[in-house]
Amino acid sequence: MASISIRNLVKRYGNLTVIPDLNLEIADHEFVVFVGPSGCGKSTLLRIIAGLEPISSGEIYIGDKRVNGVQAAHRDIAMVFQDYALYPHMKVYDNMSFALELRGVSRAEIDARVKRAAALLHIEPYLDRKPKELSGGQRQRVAMGRAIVRNPKAFLFDEPLSNLDAKLRGQVRAEIKALSQELKTTMVFVTHDQIEAMTMADRIVVLQSGTIQQYDTPETVYERPANQFVAGFIGSPAMNFFPVEWRQGQAILSLGGIVMPLEGESAGRLRVAGNAVLGIRPEHFVVTTEAADSVAINVKLVEPLGSDTLIHFDLAGVSAIARVDPSLRPKVGDRIGLRPQPGKTHLFDAANGQVLR
Amino acid sequence: MTDAANTDRWIRWLNTLQLVIAGALIMAPTVWMVLSSFKPSFEVTAYPPTLMFSPTLENYVELTKTTPFLSYALNSLVVTVGSTALGLVFGIPAAFAVSWTRISWPAILTLAARMAPGTLFLLPWYVMFRQIGMIGSYTALILSHAVITLPIVIWVLLPSFDAIPRSVFEAAQVDGCSVTRILWRIAMPLVASGIAVSAILAFVFSWNYFLFALVLSNGDTKTLIAAAFNFIGEGSTQWGALMAAATLIALPPLVLAALVQRWLVSGLTLGAVKG
Repeated sequence: MASISIRNLVKRYGNLTVIPDLNLEIADHEFVVFVGPSGCGKSTLLRIIAGLEPISSGEIYIGDKRVNGVQAAHRDIAMVFQDYALYPHMKVYDNMSFALELRGVSRAEIDARVKRAAALLHIEPYLDRKPKELSGGQRQRVAMGRAIVRNPKAFLFDEPLSNLDAKLRGQVRAEIKALSQELKTTMVFVTHDQIEAMTMADRIVVLQSGTIQQYDTPETVYERPANQFVAGFIGSPAMNFFPVEWRQGQAILSLGGIVMPLEGESAGRLRVAGNAVLGIRPEHFVVTTEAADSVAINVKLVEPLGSDTLIHFDLAGVSAIARVDPSLRPKVGDRIGLRPQPGKTHLFDAANGQVLR
Repeated sequence: MTDAANTDRWIRWLNTLQLVIAGALIMAPTVWMVLSSFKPSFEVTAYPPTLMFSPTLENYVELTKTTPFLSYALNSLVVTVGSTALGLVFGIPAAFAVSWTRISWPAILTLAARMAPGTLFLLPWYVMFRQIGMIGSYTALILSHAVITLPIVIWVLLPSFDAIPRSVFEAAQVDGCSVTRILWRIAMPLVASGIAVSAILAFVFSWNYFLFALVLSNGDTKTLIAAAFNFIGEGSTQWGALMAAATLIALPPLVLAALVQRWLVSGLTLGAVKG
């Protein structure tokens, strides 16, 4: 068990810089999720921690040990790969015991550790099988078992759920979370799925173009996004964005001149900034009948999800979504009033996307 | 019967015909060689060739009486096994290294060496081996035949190593393996059938290679194929004995290929299909 510290990390492939200058501190026992769109550098960062990618400059510490130039074999970390990367010619037992055997652990100790991990992951019946005789979910568990038996300083997960179907993904997600609480080990998990990030992480690293956009708890990242990118990436359906201006003492949507009812701090910040991008999450709209206190919209599409209803609409040339109570079932073409919940709106700098606080 | 079924039937029939013609063309010299080895000497070159004859073993008897056939066979075996082993010892790590590093020029270099005519190597090797007193030694023959076996091993194994997902090697790295151990414990077991195929092909090509043995061997190390050349004289050629020798020379590769043909086909296509 150990902390992970990354200082002034730069990673280049030839002339292409994929990580320009990255600093990150992961505390001991912490479950940190790297999340971001494809190509943001999250897997590269994980592979750098693992020792599978050399760095161009900077420093990496695992615990107190500087591991720049230390081979993956000697970093004492375990990794679960996206395609599981089990050894096809070895039985499940041998897959799990291989790393211990390499470290000269005694036969009795290997046997005890493998059986303990197998029990934890419910894979005891498969110990004598080859990977090709297992389902995707079972292989995934074996890959985790291979990591667990080693008692490593840290676990690294590279999108391990992306090959599983939706139901299994949810199940394994919960199992990994439970495992992390039981093992109390530092875990770094890479995903492009923000639901995985929100549900599993102690802290989330949101990455874009090799740069950390925000590093905070899931609640903070959701409720107080640092910029427009984070706000748009975290949350599903994504946050709605409307260009907005402060004119004649009120917030006016830049396109269409529609008055947007804004209250409190948001109104104050917009008054100072003059213009901005207004962000409202779909779940932070309230349906209202009071025309004076709301924006009137025409319903374009209705998606009843059971737990709630998604209403699609256009507002000032922007396609937007509102998540409303499931009992509300407006019809396509209906005209309804929406207003943002007080205190739940976000304002971003129109030029650089940073949040206006 | 529908048009589609008729077309299918015609295609199948044409395929069979093609295979029969190709098989006949390929097998005709071999059949002629084997039949000739059992004909009396005067009938071997008779025109028109006879298909009906009284089979005799006189060519085989003459072969064993007039030449140290077993000794030549042993020489062939030593050179072939030695050069195949040498090809495997250097070819397996070389193919793995090329696959691992994605630096392909060394493999292309070996292929170029394999494509080049043998005579290109012959003179420098002859001079070099003569200067160090190795002409006529097994070592010289084994080393020279490695030019045949090494590229075969590399090029048969390269797609097999490439077909192993990179993450499997990376998992082994994280588990604590050195590169050498990854080759030994992970990669080699996964390409076992490819190794077997490359070994068989290297054996067959080395066994059948004529030129180096003709120049670099002496009376004690002459291989079967070089020794068979002795039956072709300036004035006359002993066709019967030559055919008997050729039949015996062809036997080990043919038997080997027949025994492992299923493995050979699957091994050759090992790297071609993923997933």
